[in-house]
Amino acid sequence: MEINFTDSDIKFRDEVKAFLKDEYPSHVKHKQDNGIELTKQDMIDFHKSVSVKGWMGYNWPVEYGGTGWTTTQIYIFQTECGLAGCPPLLAFGVSMVGPVIYTFGNEEQKSKYLPDILNFDTWWCQGYSEPGSGSDLASLKTKAIRDGDEYVINGSKTWTTLAQNADWIFCLVRTETTAIKQEGISFILIDMDNPGIEVKPIITIDGEHEVNSVFFTDVRVPAANLIGEEGKGWTYAKFLLAHERFGIAAVGGSKRSLARLKDIVSELDNPILSRKVTQLEINLSSLEITELRLLSALENGAHPGAESSILKIRGTEIQQELTELYVEAAGEYALIYPGPHGHGDNAMPAGPEHAPHSVSKYLNMRKTSIYGGSNEIQKNIISKHVLGV
Amino acid sequence: MNLNYSDEQQMLRDQVQKFCDADYSFNKREEILKSDLGYDADLWKLFSELGWLSLPFSEENGGFGYGPIELSVLFEEFGKVLIVEPYLSTIVLSGSVLDKSNYAGRADLIESITSGGSHISLAYLEEGSKNNYAFANASLTSSDNGLVLNGTKALVLNGGNASKLIVSAMMNDELVLVMVNTDAEGVSSITYPTIDGQSCAEISFENVQLDESVIISKGSESIDLLDNAINIATLCISAESIGCMIACYKKTVEYTKSREQFGQPISNFQVLQHKMVDMFIESEVCKSLLFKAMLECESNEVTKNKSVSALKAQIGLSGKSVAQDAVQLHGGMGVSDEMSIGHYLKKLIAVDALFGNSNYHLNKYSQL
Repeated sequence: MEINFTDSDIKFRDEVKAFLKDEYPSHVKHKQDNGIELTKQDMIDFHKSVSVKGWMGYNWPVEYGGTGWTTTQIYIFQTECGLAGCPPLLAFGVSMVGPVIYTFGNEEQKSKYLPDILNFDTWWCQGYSEPGSGSDLASLKTKAIRDGDEYVINGSKTWTTLAQNADWIFCLVRTETTAIKQEGISFILIDMDNPGIEVKPIITIDGEHEVNSVFFTDVRVPAANLIGEEGKGWTYAKFLLAHERFGIAAVGGSKRSLARLKDIVSELDNPILSRKVTQLEINLSSLEITELRLLSALENGAHPGAESSILKIRGTEIQQELTELYVEAAGEYALIYPGPHGHGDNAMPAGPEHAPHSVSKYLNMRKTSIYGGSNEIQKNIISKHVLGV
Repeated sequence: MNLNYSDEQQMLRDQVQKFCDADYSFNKREEILKSDLGYDADLWKLFSELGWLSLPFSEENGGFGYGPIELSVLFEEFGKVLIVEPYLSTIVLSGSVLDKSNYAGRADLIESITSGGSHISLAYLEEGSKNNYAFANASLTSSDNGLVLNGTKALVLNGGNASKLIVSAMMNDELVLVMVNTDAEGVSSITYPTIDGQSCAEISFENVQLDESVIISKGSESIDLLDNAINIATLCISAESIGCMIACYKKTVEYTKSREQFGQPISNFQVLQHKMVDMFIESEVCKSLLFKAMLECESNEVTKNKSVSALKAQIGLSGKSVAQDAVQLHGGMGVSDEMSIGHYLKKLIAVDALFGNSNYHLNKYSQL
């Protein structure tokens, strides 16, 4: 066994570091470092910088325009981005719909959609959850009825992240009512400009508009937008989930956040809080090595399955606890919360400068143990597929 | 031994509960929070007519002479529906200081707040004071024309709505409490929203001219008055938190029984049942620590301080854990601002931040 990266991995890491140092747009970096909310244009600028470098397809094979990186390189790239404080690369295009298209789509679909994903010319969003279908996703009801060379879509999706910015949405829809509910589901791509689509904001407890309800009323979509076979959508969705797993532990971002927290807490003379920070550091270290062990197994040709749910569970727990400890470090100043847009033109209140942002982040991160398959569902997966219960 | 509420206390609870159920829906609360005042002036008048604003004042000052137990009944019920009216700042904090003081003008001032006519806020914290309110950087000095107040006070609850402030300042190395009109020359304030939808202010005093009549207390009397007010206020917000926790588990039970996934109510899943049982247990053990702290609030300093710190530390931990679980079990609905459940989380985070958070009180307890 060997815990260190190889020389070539270290060389690669230096290349990533150099990119982040020189080409990570400074206005985005400034906002990220100071907890200022990013605009749509900021997000586009950041993604474009990665595109221009040719790294948008960081987890894609070379033949589709990807980097063809090894899993270790992908890990290093994600971790370095986190350590540099970058916003997460939006998963919807490059990590979700992209791999589904190049794996299950036809040639026409590949040439139509993949270049725009790599250039970040299309902003994708994900139409999975519905008001009545969260953890039990396969019970989804949004209907797609075939009519000539079109599908007619009716129904609604919810918790759709950044749908207000999206050009396209990939949706799981019901094309057939079947005895086994998974079998009637299909995977379809829908242009958000289609008549009959309505996006309504859902404001979350941090006061932010990040998620939406998306309503479909007689939306006509070309049948050519269906991916793969009708009724096989569930298989593609499961394939997609496997791709999403990577990077979900968010070790890089958490390490960066922990380092700053340690600086803050070291000034406080607060033994109880210091103890909590120490425990968190140990938890984060254990998560990092757990992720590396899974990575190593992958490099050796293994196919880790349900074990990777550990990364989602512990990763989100650590991300959440970090934000809790920032709030605790703010002490009485955690009381003031101006909302996600900060104090605007008003003066900043007295107290630690990290305080208002800490509360915002704390409230925002409550979602992480709920989304992407709640942590309860992840535990069911481990229980069933690893423990064999 | 008797750890039960009296009939009279139960009657008070019934009365408050009836009001909260009938007149304080979540939608109503949302409307109140959007208003300029941030509280409902008509309801505040109603609280006065119902006698609630007079509960803790001594009979000598026109009150009912009720103690922390009655206040805790009121606050627990308030917590269940997240009442935003400024009872804590005006009646509990400022009211307690006035009630226990020998200040000449106290009877009139108490009358002015219990009638629902005006608000007084307690300005005792400063940036960096870390809950040590025995010292202030604000200063009160003598001049030819009387006294001059200078300094800046932080996190003044409901400060933006107050017509008067009780301000702590140093005068000749002694802590003094003084009564200051917010419209006096040299007083300026900036109001900030708080995480629970209320507001607090940062208030600056620049060469504010006062006369001797504004002095409420000097030296150890000032510290005793603040200690007493903050202890009672801590009991009140702890009771309020318990109300929040009870609402959290009840609403979660209700939600999980109605939310169906995998062809059944999600309340059928044992892992959720146990989570909800844990939420219930947390609220019960907090209630026990509240009882202990209420019953020991007249004990010697160490006993009293230990029981208050134990309570506040546990309220911070339990409150966060219960509300976070409530949000988690509500799934996406839990983080949606239009549902009430996330607002309980915000309230409980606000409560933890007030009067020393959980870490502060654990550290303090370990040194008592």
